[in-house]
Amino acid sequence: MEENLKVMLVDDEEIVCKRLKTALEKYGYAVDVFQSGVPAIERLKEEQYDIVVTDIRMDDADGLDVLAAARKSSPRTKIIMITGYATAEVAREAQVKGAFAFIAKPFRPKELHALLEKAARGLKKG
Amino acid sequence: MPDKESASAPGYHAPPSIDAFRTSEGSSRQDEEFKDAADRALKERPSFSIRTRLILAFSIFFLLPLVITLWSMHVLANVNEKILFLELADDYKVEIQQARRFEKNYLLYGTNLDDAREHAQAAQRLSMENEEQFRSVVGESSLRTMNEHLSAYLRLLDEADPADRDQWESQLREHGSAMFKLAQDFVIKERNEVEGMLDLTRRVPFVFLVVLFVLMILVVTFLARHIMKSLNRFMGYTQRIGSGDFSPITPTRGYRDEFTDLALNINRMVRELDKHHRILLESHKLRAMGTLVAGVAHELNNPMNNILLTASLLQEDDGSMEESDRQEMLQDLVAQAERTKRIVANLLNFARQSETKVEGLDMRDLIKDITRLLKNQIRIKKVRLRVAFPEELPTVHGDRQLLGQVFTNLILNALDVLPEKGEIVISFDTEHREGFLAVNVADSGPGMPGHIMSRVFDPFFTTKPKGKGTGLGLSVSRGIVRKLGGYLLVESQLGIGTVFTVLLPITTIPSDISSRVGASDGGN
Repeated sequence: MEENLKVMLVDDEEIVCKRLKTALEKYGYAVDVFQSGVPAIERLKEEQYDIVVTDIRMDDADGLDVLAAARKSSPRTKIIMITGYATAEVAREAQVKGAFAFIAKPFRPKELHALLEKAARGLKKG
Repeated sequence: MPDKESASAPGYHAPPSIDAFRTSEGSSRQDEEFKDAADRALKERPSFSIRTRLILAFSIFFLLPLVITLWSMHVLANVNEKILFLELADDYKVEIQQARRFEKNYLLYGTNLDDAREHAQAAQRLSMENEEQFRSVVGESSLRTMNEHLSAYLRLLDEADPADRDQWESQLREHGSAMFKLAQDFVIKERNEVEGMLDLTRRVPFVFLVVLFVLMILVVTFLARHIMKSLNRFMGYTQRIGSGDFSPITPTRGYRDEFTDLALNINRMVRELDKHHRILLESHKLRAMGTLVAGVAHELNNPMNNILLTASLLQEDDGSMEESDRQEMLQDLVAQAERTKRIVANLLNFARQSETKVEGLDMRDLIKDITRLLKNQIRIKKVRLRVAFPEELPTVHGDRQLLGQVFTNLILNALDVLPEKGEIVISFDTEHREGFLAVNVADSGPGMPGHIMSRVFDPFFTTKPKGKGTGLGLSVSRGIVRKLGGYLLVESQLGIGTVFTVLLPITTIPSDISSRVGASDGGN
């Protein structure tokens, strides 16, 4: 159903990357994981992804930077932000900058999956 | 411990009492009893009010002239009496003079004997008619002497044909001149007395005016000085209160006056201030803790998320998972749970309302714990925190919980002023002051100008916009450090940054001997 959509996952917690990669690949997505923002942004310059899932706050690069890089890389990319605590102002800012959706930690893989499906439907519509 | 002021933090004020950190319910029973006792002592003194003094002063300034006036009037009345008598005495003298003149005529020419007699009799009449007056002025013996001479004189005049003419003449002359002399004497005497009295009425009021003038100056000076002394004392009190010392005003004199009422009112006001201050301190503490707690809660999100993701996958496993993957996941679950445990333990260590306890501290552990607790805040602000631990770190004299509060305050303050990519460096040295360990918290922020730096420890002083920050952090921190026998200093350079230095007394008590309060964390 998902037709091997390309997903980029950026989060500085190693376990998050491992588990979500396992889970999402099981759902049929092609997942590239990055444990920090800088290499992710570099990759976005060269490749385009269907969906980008990124943590909002990381040590070296802001999730918002990744968001900007993703939009620049391809305007169709659906970007999902992972928030530590859902603060209204961050949500607003990301929304303005073009984020598709949010998911607040902690969450179950299912929940992210549901969001990805929604994004996928959005992509299909074109 | 030398009680010197720090050169780099001028205008040092007495710190708030350390008891404020212990009790959140309010001041202790002892404090209350002491304050009540102070008020009672102020009230229960004999009263000698300023109003009384003023009334006394004015009474004196009124009564003295009154007395002098009455005295003058009395003297003048006496003078009046004396003048009246002088008239009388003068008349008497004149009669005797006349008698003697006619006596002379008679002795020379044989005429005017009757005239002489007439005048002598007139004198005698005057003397008899005014016997009392004469007696009171010249005295009984003089009066008798005068009367004797006069009687003898008259008797001689009455002798028609004296046997011994010469003796008669000489006796006549003798009595005559004696009478005259006496009369003259007391007239002169009386006149001198009157002059003396008039002189007195001239001089005394003048002297009195001078005395009154001096007295007025003295009284006004003393009164003014007395009032100024009290005013100065109260200036001292208000300054003391302004610097955060809420101890009550206690009596310093043996009596009470209007200033006592002022003192009682001020004591009442200070009790209110103290109450509010404690509430503020408590809310400040809570706010600081709130920040810590929020940070820690945020920090907990990560291990929790890791656990949730991992456990979810294990749950959803339909049996197709590799055993090695399974084992890895189970291990991760345990590790993340441990991580959570450590985070919570760290917070509990400092958030617990435990008994403050002074002990030998290893600053390495304390700083490590604090920086770990604040890791999230530091990360969010994208600031770099560097701690330069030396090889050897002497044990210091301090209280774990309270010093934790101090360093939390210093680091949070630094975070507030630093832009992204700013740097905080914590370093140690023992050269700053003999017998002390200096812990420096330096930020690469904008620095402070001199006029701000000198006020930075003042209670309620803050450069943050309204509503953000009560300005209590540094004054409270300084109070804590001071109470522990140390010093909190600041140095700053505009454009370069600020360094807060906490000087803590080095102790000889090894840190592992005194028991630590609170659960110690399991590891690093």
